[in-house]
Amino acid sequence: MLTKKYRFLAVLAFIILMLIAAIPLGGTTVPEALVCLAAVGAAVWLSWHLFIEIKMLLAQIARLENDYKNHVEKTSQSLKEAKDYKLQLQLLKRQKRNTEAIIYSISDAVIVTDASDRLIMANEPAGSLFGFDVKQAILKPLEELIQNKELVQLVETSRDRKVRHLRHELQHNFGKDILTYDCIISSIYDDDEQVCGVVSVLHDITREKEISQMKNDFVSHVSHELKTPLASITAYSEMLVEGEANDEKTRKEFYSVIQSQAKRLNRLIEDILNISRIESGLIRVNKEAVSTALIVRDAVQMIKGYAAEKNITVEDQTAIVFDQVYADRDMISQVVINLLSNAVKYTPNGGKITINSEVNESEQVVIVAITDTGIGIPAEELANVFEKFYRVKANNKFAKGTGLGLNLVKQIVEKVHGGRVSVKSEVGKGSCFSFELPLLAAEKTTAR
Amino acid sequence: MENKKMLIADDEIHIVQVVAMKFRNNGFEVVTADNGTDAYKLCCEEKPDIIVTDYQMPGMTGIELVEKLRQRPEFADIPVIILTARGFAIEDEQMDKLRITECMSKPFSPKELLSHVENVLEHSTVK
Repeated sequence: MLTKKYRFLAVLAFIILMLIAAIPLGGTTVPEALVCLAAVGAAVWLSWHLFIEIKMLLAQIARLENDYKNHVEKTSQSLKEAKDYKLQLQLLKRQKRNTEAIIYSISDAVIVTDASDRLIMANEPAGSLFGFDVKQAILKPLEELIQNKELVQLVETSRDRKVRHLRHELQHNFGKDILTYDCIISSIYDDDEQVCGVVSVLHDITREKEISQMKNDFVSHVSHELKTPLASITAYSEMLVEGEANDEKTRKEFYSVIQSQAKRLNRLIEDILNISRIESGLIRVNKEAVSTALIVRDAVQMIKGYAAEKNITVEDQTAIVFDQVYADRDMISQVVINLLSNAVKYTPNGGKITINSEVNESEQVVIVAITDTGIGIPAEELANVFEKFYRVKANNKFAKGTGLGLNLVKQIVEKVHGGRVSVKSEVGKGSCFSFELPLLAAEKTTAR
Repeated sequence: MENKKMLIADDEIHIVQVVAMKFRNNGFEVVTADNGTDAYKLCCEEKPDIIVTDYQMPGMTGIELVEKLRQRPEFADIPVIILTARGFAIEDEQMDKLRITECMSKPFSPKELLSHVENVLEHSTVK
């Protein structure tokens, strides 16, 4: 913008220029020329002044326009940011819902606590396990909600010592059961590397532990059962090699022991393999139409010698009726022999074994029952007698066994032939083991 | 080994017979039992110098037999060898607590068992 001094000099220069311009007009008088000049000068000054004002206004307008543009830009930026914030907020809310949904859908118990060990989040399995209402328990101290002191202690320790991940096998009493949990406790850190919370995940491994125990028991049982006859074979053969059997009679006895123990070993291995084959569905089954009465008759003939050693009477009351089943003859024969030899084994000298067979028309099954006058089985152990390697404790002293025979019976009848086994017993009076198989007619109907 | 009495307890009759023969052939006096309960009674009656017992027996296990024997002052120091066909050995803690001399796995060599018994008895005699 021009200063007053420059404005004055400009006006003076302009008047001089006008005067110089007016001299050539000739006919005009000096006063007229001066008036004219003053008028022109005033107009020019005014124009100049207006020009300056307009220029200033234009500059102001430009500035305002610029300010407006900036303002609009800033506003739209803010609007954009606000939109972004809103979007982020929605996204975070959705992520929170998703995370909660994931945690709530996990079958493991999940417990999240803050830096003061108060509950922030827990899913239903955690609520059910420790008996608290998940929604009402928020912000309550963990020790008020959880009766398991070990877990509370683990969370505290994890937080205090800033342990990133801690894994622990935890026992928890749940009603009458003792459950085992694989417990993983992880600390959550804030930006200052301070623990701001703890996440505890409890995975139920009770079943896995049971299976592992069963596996160990199985290995232990198999090892024991295999090593026992092997011990006799090893010891007797060493005695023979060392010349400890002095006469021919003793040597023959030793050979006989070795032979019988080798057979025992083979039977045991066969039983274990058969059970394993049936369980894995790998056994070869040759099913055909067979009469259960005829199978029973053959089995009774085979067992009679063994029964006679103990003066036990074996009475076969099975009548040959229309009792044909679609079955593997050898396997069903094995079932009857196992049940009969068990009956002889657990019946004292002079006892009696009765075999009955009947056809149940309405159920379309044939039922074979083997009843003895043996030592019987305590009621509390009846449910377990068909389990692999299970032996009735009270009867251990009475006779030896592997605990595989009845399991094989169950596997053959139920798994291979779709039948059913059952047992009734009274201690001191005897037992009745029975099995039922679908009749051939029923099998054909099912096959159709 | 002359004038030494050993007790062998096992529910496997063949094992009892073969061990008894091996030890009798080598100058031992042998008493036998086929279950834990009878083994305990025989110990009280016969007062053997050493016991060789199976781990898993009807009536009373080998461990239960030793536990019961250790309660009587006359059997506080009697050497015991356990024979076992189990898949897992007896824990050291239990071995120490019951002062079980040795645990031998089945199948075992009768010759080796005899040598172990003689060793144990020699050491206990020296004491």
